[in-house]
Amino acid sequence: MAVRPLRILDKAPAPTSPGAGAPRPGASPAPPPPGPLRRVLRSVTPGPAPDAGGAALYRKWWLPWLWMAPAVVGVTVFGVWPFLNTLILSFTDAKPLGGAAGFVGLDNYTRMFGDSDFWLATRNSLLYAVIVVPLMVLLPLVLAVLVEKNLPGIGFFRSAFYTPVLASSVVVGLSWQWLLSDQGLVNTWLQKGHLIKEAIPFLSDSWLILLSAMGLTLWKGLGWYMIFYLAALGNVPKELHEAAAVDGAGSIRRFWHITMPGVRTSMMLVGTLTGIGSLRIFTEIYMLGGSTGGPGGADRTLPFYIRDVGLDPLTGNAGYGAAVSVALFALTLGLTLLAQRLTKEDEA
Amino acid sequence: MRARRLTGSVAAIVVLSLTAAGCGLGGSDGGEATAGGCKVDEGNVGSGELTGDVKGDITFQTTNVKKDFGDYFNGVIKAFEKANPDTKIKWIDDPGDATFTQRLVADAQGCTLPDVVNVNVNTAIALTKNGYLLNLDEKAPDAGKPFTDAMWKSTTYADAEGKKVHSVLPWYSGGILQTFNTELMEKAGLDPAKPATTVLGLFADAEKVAKASDGDYYAFLANPQHRIPADWQQMGIEVKSADGKKFTFADDPKTVQWVEAMTSLYKAGGMPRDSLSSTQDPANVYGQGKLVYGPTNPNFLRFIQQNNPTVYEKTGVAPFMLDALGHTVGAPQYVGVASTSKNASTALAFAQFLTNAQNQLEWAKDPNVVIFPSTTESLKDPFFQKVEGTDPFAEARKIVAKDRETATADEIALTPGELNAVVAQIQLAMQGKKSAQDALDEAQSKANELIEQGS
Repeated sequence: MAVRPLRILDKAPAPTSPGAGAPRPGASPAPPPPGPLRRVLRSVTPGPAPDAGGAALYRKWWLPWLWMAPAVVGVTVFGVWPFLNTLILSFTDAKPLGGAAGFVGLDNYTRMFGDSDFWLATRNSLLYAVIVVPLMVLLPLVLAVLVEKNLPGIGFFRSAFYTPVLASSVVVGLSWQWLLSDQGLVNTWLQKGHLIKEAIPFLSDSWLILLSAMGLTLWKGLGWYMIFYLAALGNVPKELHEAAAVDGAGSIRRFWHITMPGVRTSMMLVGTLTGIGSLRIFTEIYMLGGSTGGPGGADRTLPFYIRDVGLDPLTGNAGYGAAVSVALFALTLGLTLLAQRLTKEDEA
Repeated sequence: MRARRLTGSVAAIVVLSLTAAGCGLGGSDGGEATAGGCKVDEGNVGSGELTGDVKGDITFQTTNVKKDFGDYFNGVIKAFEKANPDTKIKWIDDPGDATFTQRLVADAQGCTLPDVVNVNVNTAIALTKNGYLLNLDEKAPDAGKPFTDAMWKSTTYADAEGKKVHSVLPWYSGGILQTFNTELMEKAGLDPAKPATTVLGLFADAEKVAKASDGDYYAFLANPQHRIPADWQQMGIEVKSADGKKFTFADDPKTVQWVEAMTSLYKAGGMPRDSLSSTQDPANVYGQGKLVYGPTNPNFLRFIQQNNPTVYEKTGVAPFMLDALGHTVGAPQYVGVASTSKNASTALAFAQFLTNAQNQLEWAKDPNVVIFPSTTESLKDPFFQKVEGTDPFAEARKIVAKDRETATADEIALTPGELNAVVAQIQLAMQGKKSAQDALDEAQSKANELIEQGS
């Protein structure tokens, strides 16, 4: 298939043959990329300087901005501006329904630091990150290694592990509710196997609700990060494994010393993404702990707490909600920087 | 290497800023005394009846009814347009999701509230408080005549100055009654012919269920959110101060009794342990034959009839426990007229036409719906009075129609935030982590904090 030339930029003389550029039926083999594309390719390969005319076009200062414009606009409108807005809001007593917002200085922050519910939500969110992130970095890698081999029927397992990713959080939450209830599948099996006498209160004990929600997050995320690792595993040189095998290294040893270093970049990425994700948990807690976030609200995470204090149309305080949002942001930023720092030390 | 780190950081910043981008800066309010920041026709505000001809165009907004009741509404609209030539009604149907109130108030602040609009109680409160609905006491002094006395008298909300005014016309309501599984009741040694008449009486019966059931079935679900504040109002507890500025439920010893009854029943196994905070739907659990007492809305009977016919056959119905209050409470759906309307006379005429006895009765007779009219005359119709056979559904219709005659609209509408704050504390009491009084005190102070931060 011929590559369609980038007509807009093509300052070179127009091709002589009519219809050139459109793929011709039966045209084979593909000609080298014409016009500017070739020049670009040439410019990144060492050699004599390319002809000045075309390359100059790429040196226009505004051109990169033009290419980035759609993304920059999107990020500004939907990311940066709302973020700045939240920052401003956090110093006001704005209401979800609008109306005049008054500047209240640091009041929201003072209130936050003395608010035991805020600290409980912070604890829950941090626990979530501390427990879920390491598991989410390691377990999908193990899964990926298991399903990487081309065995007959392996496709079934790959799909099966990926299915939870596609299911809606609410549906998954409902099935877990059903699994974990006092008369649910898990308790019934354990009781039938005489492993327990009384049903385990997965859905009424606040610690168990939190742990069950973590399990739900893990189960739902495994397949997604497994795909990340499957892609990364393809880049781990087979020769290393072969050489190590010849030297007598077992599969566990090869996993530690070849596979894991080989996908280290992906592990960092997964760690960062799940770190951020685990601080944003809401649905799992809501599905398993109900609208109060567990009995007594003991399982509320920071996003849950933001909903409770900030978003209620009549009694919410968007200003206080924004202050808690900023705290969540600071926490996320802090964890991300910490992770980067740890990796850097690791590199040195 | 550096490029990789750079893209990583950019990605991190983007994702991070999204996490904090939860809230937006609301629009500012000019604070004009009339209708928010909107310029309105002089005749729409102040004193004096509305004048003006019934003609011209208006918009009419319903909430999530187009799919099932399109024919009925188109019929009402056509009849109105026929009776009032030169009028034209543009009908819009809002999906009515969780952000309904926010959206409607935003519409109002943008001066684009539909001329005639269907609102629920929380939205009615918010719109009245900001002056976006026509004051009917001034503009249509006779508007209350078609409605039951009890309903009309209790349909008032505070305006901008805190004065209680009529700003909405009561429309249909779902009704309330007791439903129960007669077979399980008999198993527990209770007489289905003598259902409870007080809230604490119901708890006493439920204790018997707990003793007899041995975990095979339960009285009702544990999550207190199903019973607050209806139980309390029925018991005659003052949930909120008269001016609505603070909660007072914790100061009444009857509330403590109620929490203690809930705690004792939970401990005795009269409620499923895992339903304390869960989102389980009581209608489903009742349908599985695991609950003695079912949900209290008549519409639920239709649900059971269709989904669990065997349980439906065993279902008995009775009037709701009137207890100390002597009547039931529950806000109906409302119809309001926007004070920002450019054609308020036509809008008011249509709102009254829509809610008149004839049109309300016609809709109530639609077999696809279980609703009860707010108009005195409609409730006397044979449709509500004649019961053939022992079908629970027909019995329910008669019971609820009778109940509607005295039912009032002044339910204490807790906001979702307030409800969560109160429910959470009672859950702790039920788990034995707090005493009833401590939990109630904490619940009250948290709910009051919410009122304060929202006002």
